[in-house]
Amino acid sequence: MQITFKVYRKDPEKDGKPGRSNYSVELDEEATVLDGLLKIRDEMDDTLAFRASCARGYCGECTMRVNYKACFACTAKVSAFTKKSPEILLDPLRNIPVIKDLVFDWDAFMWNKITAVKPWLEPDESSTNGENLLPDSTMADLRKVMSCYYCGLCDEGCTVLPVDFDFLGPAALTKAYRFVFDPRDKAGRERLKIAEKPKGIWDCVHCFEASEHCPRGIAPTERIISIRDKAFKVGITNEKVARHHTSFAASVKESGWLDEGRLALESEGLTNIKGLMKLLPTAARAMARGKAPIPYLHPKRPGAEQIKKIFEKGEREKK
Amino acid sequence: MQAFDVLVIGGGASGLRAAIAVKGAGASVALITKVHPLRTNSGLAQGGLNAPLGKDDSAEKFAEDTLAAGDDLCERDIVRAFAQEASRDVIWLEHVGVPFNRSAEGRIDLRQFGSNSRSRTCYTDDRTGHIVLQVLHEQFERLQIPSFEEWFVTSLAVDGSACVGAVALGLRSGKLEPFTARAVILATGGFSRMYLPSTVSLGTTGDGQNLAFTAGARLMDMEMIQFHPTVFPKGQGLLISEATLREGAEIINEKGEPVLESKALTREKICLAMRQATQNGSGALSLDLRRIGKEKLASRFPQTLELAKTVAGIDVTKEPIPIRPVAHRPMGGIETDADGATSVPGMFAVGECACSGLNGAGRLAGNTLTEALVFGRKVGETATRHAKGAPVKGFPGSKLSDEEKRLAALTSGNFSGDSAGKIHSELGQLMNDKVGLVRDGAGLREALERIQSLKERHRKIKLSNSSRIYNYALTSALELGSMLNLAEAVALAAQARSESRGAHRRADFPERDDQNWRCHTVVSLAQGSPQVEKKPVAGGA
Ligand SMILES: Cc1cc2nc3c(=O)[nH]c(=O)nc-3n(C[C@H](O)[C@H](O)[C@H](O)COP(=O)(O)OP(=O)(O)OC[C@H]3O[C@@H](n4cnc5c(N)ncnc54)[C@H](O)[C@@H]3O)c2cc1C
Ligand code: SF4
Repeated sequence: MQITFKVYRKDPEKDGKPGRSNYSVELDEEATVLDGLLKIRDEMDDTLAFRASCARGYCGECTMRVNYKACFACTAKVSAFTKKSPEILLDPLRNIPVIKDLVFDWDAFMWNKITAVKPWLEPDESSTNGENLLPDSTMADLRKVMSCYYCGLCDEGCTVLPVDFDFLGPAALTKAYRFVFDPRDKAGRERLKIAEKPKGIWDCVHCFEASEHCPRGIAPTERIISIRDKAFKVGITNEKVARHHTSFAASVKESGWLDEGRLALESEGLTNIKGLMKLLPTAARAMARGKAPIPYLHPKRPGAEQIKKIFEKGEREKK
Repeated sequence: MQAFDVLVIGGGASGLRAAIAVKGAGASVALITKVHPLRTNSGLAQGGLNAPLGKDDSAEKFAEDTLAAGDDLCERDIVRAFAQEASRDVIWLEHVGVPFNRSAEGRIDLRQFGSNSRSRTCYTDDRTGHIVLQVLHEQFERLQIPSFEEWFVTSLAVDGSACVGAVALGLRSGKLEPFTARAVILATGGFSRMYLPSTVSLGTTGDGQNLAFTAGARLMDMEMIQFHPTVFPKGQGLLISEATLREGAEIINEKGEPVLESKALTREKICLAMRQATQNGSGALSLDLRRIGKEKLASRFPQTLELAKTVAGIDVTKEPIPIRPVAHRPMGGIETDADGATSVPGMFAVGECACSGLNGAGRLAGNTLTEALVFGRKVGETATRHAKGAPVKGFPGSKLSDEEKRLAALTSGNFSGDSAGKIHSELGQLMNDKVGLVRDGAGLREALERIQSLKERHRKIKLSNSSRIYNYALTSALELGSMLNLAEAVALAAQARSESRGAHRRADFPERDDQNWRCHTVVSLAQGSPQVEKKPVAGGA
């Protein structure tokens, strides 16, 4: 079949402005997008730059957008993308600095962020003979997380990264999970602190896009939530968001519904004068709209006692 | 100029393990790799890695199985030492974080794999390479070892007789730079891409073997190419782990009848049985994974299920997948001693690019990753010792400018019309047809003639892309040059060995000939031409 590839181009040695090149290629029914690209580079235009390594879906190196859908060129069958028209658009992933054509900056996009979570196990140097005895269920969970291809599709789907490129992103935080939940890691609390730093787990907005995008079903969003939970459990709650969670739960437990005034104050921290000052305009607006009556009282809701019991039961079970 | 005690070239399992060992031994070290370490060929390994950890097992039994797979061409002392050390290195890997599958008691679970006579293969589902590679990379990062990723080594620097560094092209910067070192460790992987299809990643093109060979090192047992029996042969070729066989899968003929009488066979024997079946009119062969059962397939072979679907378009829980033997992994490579030293002082080699005689004429399934660990550690320690005693030598003055000229000639901007891809396709077909699973004298003669003409065409290649930044046309042309030189060495060694042994099958010499051929072949350059010699197997019987 005859396919026209319309490929994103950028040449850092010329004006660096993006453009597009069109290539008409004869391919067989079984061909993949990567087959098409290799043929173009070999026979039509040897200046075209794109990456590929394993060429059969193991490694994530050839991630790109095919007709705007982020996927792997090596497993993307051309026939699946040309049902409506014999044209295929190829672009680099979104929101990432492009170096040349389809080659983008993996370092800035993912590798450097992974390095930032100190992605190594701190082994117990004293354990000598024989393997650690560990249940397969724990290991199976780690194997699932470590099936990660480092393909970046979760980062590409993330809704925080387009507004804050410095956010560590779901791929790096999923890597952090692998250590946080590995019983052999001796860095424990210290590692949670890394993930908890600015641009870490608290900046995730739980939109679940990362989990939607992950081709391996690793559920990066749920992994981030698990790290947060663990941070809470070991008492890392001095962060604003952690305070937010604690206050949220305490308010609902006591009154059966959310006390927004208390939430705002406790989230900022009662000793954080600067933070509290920032709340003043919001409080004034709320008062003006009658949302915060004076004196400020937060009455219990009907059924609040039952809600409290649910909380207490949950707390007992956790213990 | 970048300067280190030890330079490791290659970021797969062997290179990472070696770099960790060098750092541990107290020398300065850097790693250069043409693709990011987590994208290397090591990540494709599935079935697992061997260590004699079972109650019914021992280092002696492990050594026996390794020797049997090697069809009497292994270096026995090397095999015995390897079998002794394997468990320690695999346990180390567990300690630093590999989440191996576990038995009910929480121990590392062991699976039966290939012709291992015991359950001794440690595994992580069917993604062992991917996960082992990650853990090695984690420990590599822990030691903060400088890593030059997406740097392509174009040449080794030899001063007098010693290897003193390398020249590499930064794909991102587009700059050619010298790296000096007192010791260089090559860990550049195999060369099976000279066959099409094959089981390996695109960069498995034998660069390191060719760099070493042209710098004066010798290549050993190059005719020994392992074919893998259970490969979906379309497209690039998709390997289905042979571990599936021992877990219940069957190779079946067109009527659905099993083809193998036993599954505890070496890969060579399974491949030959498949060939025999096809010649006897079995029709197309396929692998029936349904016999493993859906649940076990999903829990132990998740990647196989996924890739069979995405790559081959086959749901293996519902139907068998077509297979045939496809080129997998060479046993031969850069000749080294037991510690990874080559015949060139200061040059070391490890992993799939090296040949110490561990694997002889055939490799035991599951030995390669263990080899990467054991020999990676050893070569790191040996190269460090060498580096500490070696004098600092200057980088040969004209080396960099010579390389500049060589690359400039390729990228002169006047497209020659011929392409690396076309020449590669022809080579891949030729190697399969004439230097494949079974060879003969006439075919090998023809192969050698045609390799010469492909080399001639390769010499004339000119690219229109004159940039150095991410110029993959340039690196492909260089890789093709390596494959052509090595293809010639493979065919020459195969032509010389007039017997059948292990992976080397000659239709015109079907018997094993211990009297004349219980020895290695060694190819070296003499006045610019490759020469084959015999080298005795050490240690006698
Ligand atoms: C599909 C498949 C399944 C397998 N299954 C198993 C298994 O179950 N068990 C087992 O034990 N083994 C298995 N193997 C074999 C095993 O994975 C490999 O032999 C082994 O991992 C090789 O490791 P290596 O480090 O020597 O080489 P590689 O992993 O190939 O690494 C080579 C490195 O060298 C670099 N390099 C190469 N040339 C250059 C250059 N010019 N400049 C700079 N860098 C360069 C590359 O970038 C790469 O980082 C399998 C292999 C395949 C392909
Ligand atoms: S978590 Fe999933 S989407 Fe994210 S990099 Fe890993 S495999 Fe890709």
